[in-house]
Amino acid sequence: MPDTKEVNPLREGLSSRAMPQPCAVVIFGATGDLTHRKLVPALYNLAADGALPPAVSVVGFARRDKGDEIFRKELEEAARKFSRQQLNEELWTGFTSSIFYHRSEFHDLEGYQSLAKRLDELDAQRGTRGNRLYYLSAGPDQFPVILENLRKSGLNRAQPGSWARVIVEKPFGTDLPSAQRLNDLVKDAFSEKDTFRIDHYLGKETAQNLMVMRFANAIFEQLWNSRYIDHVQITASEPLGVEGRAGYYEKAGALRDMVQNHLLQLLCLTAMEPPAGLDADAIRDEKVKVLKSLRPITGDNVRKQVIRAQYGAGTINGKRVPAYRDEQNVNPESVTETYVALHINIDNWRWAGVPFFVRVGKRLPKGATEIAIQFKAAPPVLFNAEEQTVESNALVIRIQPDEGVALRMSAKMPGSSLRIEPVKMDFHYGTSFGKATPEAYERLLLDAMSGDATLFARRDEVEEAWMFVDAIRAEWDKDPDDLALYAAGTWGPIEADELIARYGATWRRL
Amino acid sequence: MNSTEQALIEPGLPVEIGRIDKELGKLWEETGDTKTRASLINLAIYTESAESVAENTNLISRIASQHACRALLVFANPGAPREEARAWISAHCHLAGKGEGQICSEQITFQLDGEMVAALPNIVFSHLDSDLPLYFWWQGQFREPLDKKLWGWVDRLIYDSSQWDAPAEQFPLVQKIRTLTEIRTILCDLAWTRLLGARYAIAQLFDHSCALARIHEIKRVTISCHKQVTGLLLLGWVATQLGWKLQTLNGRACFLSNAGAPIDFEIRVLAGPTIGLCAFECGDATLEITQQPGSEYFQARIGCEGVSDATMFVPAGKSEIADTLLVALGRGGTHPLYRKALAVADPLLK
Repeated sequence: MPDTKEVNPLREGLSSRAMPQPCAVVIFGATGDLTHRKLVPALYNLAADGALPPAVSVVGFARRDKGDEIFRKELEEAARKFSRQQLNEELWTGFTSSIFYHRSEFHDLEGYQSLAKRLDELDAQRGTRGNRLYYLSAGPDQFPVILENLRKSGLNRAQPGSWARVIVEKPFGTDLPSAQRLNDLVKDAFSEKDTFRIDHYLGKETAQNLMVMRFANAIFEQLWNSRYIDHVQITASEPLGVEGRAGYYEKAGALRDMVQNHLLQLLCLTAMEPPAGLDADAIRDEKVKVLKSLRPITGDNVRKQVIRAQYGAGTINGKRVPAYRDEQNVNPESVTETYVALHINIDNWRWAGVPFFVRVGKRLPKGATEIAIQFKAAPPVLFNAEEQTVESNALVIRIQPDEGVALRMSAKMPGSSLRIEPVKMDFHYGTSFGKATPEAYERLLLDAMSGDATLFARRDEVEEAWMFVDAIRAEWDKDPDDLALYAAGTWGPIEADELIARYGATWRRL
Repeated sequence: MNSTEQALIEPGLPVEIGRIDKELGKLWEETGDTKTRASLINLAIYTESAESVAENTNLISRIASQHACRALLVFANPGAPREEARAWISAHCHLAGKGEGQICSEQITFQLDGEMVAALPNIVFSHLDSDLPLYFWWQGQFREPLDKKLWGWVDRLIYDSSQWDAPAEQFPLVQKIRTLTEIRTILCDLAWTRLLGARYAIAQLFDHSCALARIHEIKRVTISCHKQVTGLLLLGWVATQLGWKLQTLNGRACFLSNAGAPIDFEIRVLAGPTIGLCAFECGDATLEITQQPGSEYFQARIGCEGVSDATMFVPAGKSEIADTLLVALGRGGTHPLYRKALAVADPLLK
């Protein structure tokens, strides 16, 4: 076997990133929704774009009894339905021959030992060099046993010159102690550099563009501080309800499901200092500093700074929808929050005195994720004197849908009288770059194969985020019934409006 | 327009050249809020063929749907008896993402007759969208004398060397243009762009451990290609990346590897795909990529002891000119490998 570090000279200039080495991708929980909707379509799209390394094998590991052919057929149907690119028969024929199914219970060590044998055989047949990428896509309760058996069977250990990595899907724990336990289990089997905790928000183009926008353009960074910014609003709204995830959501709620990971990640990207470099650790070091600077919300401040609410019956897109408590598999007396609004302070030099208002909710009028930087008003002289009310500037970074960036500013209306109106400079990804952007999972799978952890959460990031969230939950647990209600199809409870109004601001109209 | 002489082309609304900006402004005012004008680049196309104006207009329409631009299509008719310049404006609109609105790109078409062709830089380049780069696609042959004023504006010079009658004469002119602009102009040869799929496929072939182990043992390269210049550029790329030096042994051109071993090559010009075959013989193994007519993929095969299942499919890239141009527009970069490959291919062209 050649030295795996030998560089292919023909790769120069073909892409800005190194081509990952051939590997076997083993998906635990391969019959689940994520595999069908996201992972296999993402792998197929990578193959269609010529971005998949040669001889990649995909091995599904699950409990259900079936063979390679049936598994391939199921995945073909899923790929036809969910792939962003139409399935090409010729390519699929080649791609499908690299898919295999391995039946085993997650707790059965022998299943892992036979998996090891099968992977060795595939190495020999396909030249995958012993490289392994394990994707934990099973239920989170199965993570410990899978990790334990990977370790016991030796699958976690790579041969010299090869690698073994693990991708862990969210939720990464349910609180700080469980996240630490899980982190310890992962650490027993894989080193931190081989551990990839996925947060698909970070794989989205606009989230990646946030750093480019901040640090590749000189004009924004000068204004990116408490001297010029009044406050920041981060919103993630969706019109959907629990959609068959009631079992998970009842235990999680919006705070754990969205704030601990996605929204705090977006906050970090917005608030972090320029990193020393573009390597994974330099960027993650800066994100951790932001998390460490979050002022803990504890005691009475939880009631003052955090609003939790649950949707009641209402109307979405002209259709009646039931209350959360009337959804299937939801406890009729549930106090799980489907909406959270937070007033977060960052105690560091850059952000002192600038509140970050974060809100997330289900059954809101429309689906949108965005970060809005609200600048301070111009001095109250000239056009901003008392007769005139000039709106302050806002820079809006739309994460989804309609990814783009917009800047609101004031302009004189044409005419002899002086009237000032807000206008918008708007950049849409879809308008300027017509081609479809890759799905987040495509980018993230490729990064994990390449060993690039930049867009994945590090252990300390996850634990710091849990520490912040746990303090809020601890206070909620003392008074579980303190829950506001909002009608489905509205923008959340009145208490959330009051939360931001106390600062003299209002939520943006999306 | 002179009523006795009809324009050879009619691509849109005829306008006076001095009123192009005003007329474009009116066009957008009339559409109200339902359309958004977008532009990332100025894309100028120069042609001397009246027939290709309609083709180019269709092409711009396809390009604009994925790569918003201000398009300037110039039909030069230097042999016309009268000296005249005429212009037309039009817009290419497409529905954005989920059909919420239309995104439009502008096209200004010029017909330059007779001596007016010499005024190309003045007439055309006064209608560039400011602050956006100029990509200039020169369809046809380059000729001396080269006008420094014209080429000084160009950020990217696009051409298709596979369409040239005499590439060995044209390449020096292209290099001269680059020198005129103090090497600021980036050369984009569509023949090189078309090789992208083949280069990916060959790179992918050698990503495989079995092939990579033999990369310095290659003894012979065989390339089947649609045009000789394309095959030579591919060979030039392989040679430059692997450090081969062109030599003449016994009156026959071949390469010498870093270790001094001779490497034979053969270029076969055949009808069919841009690259139908690129095969590498290296003692105990045969490595090849092939593209069957009609297929969108290269099959990369490794015939190597101990590897039983190593056929890969790699996208070959679409062969239509609009697709090639979109790839060229989307990739950016300064193409240093092209210049290196060309340096190897150039003596073989002669």
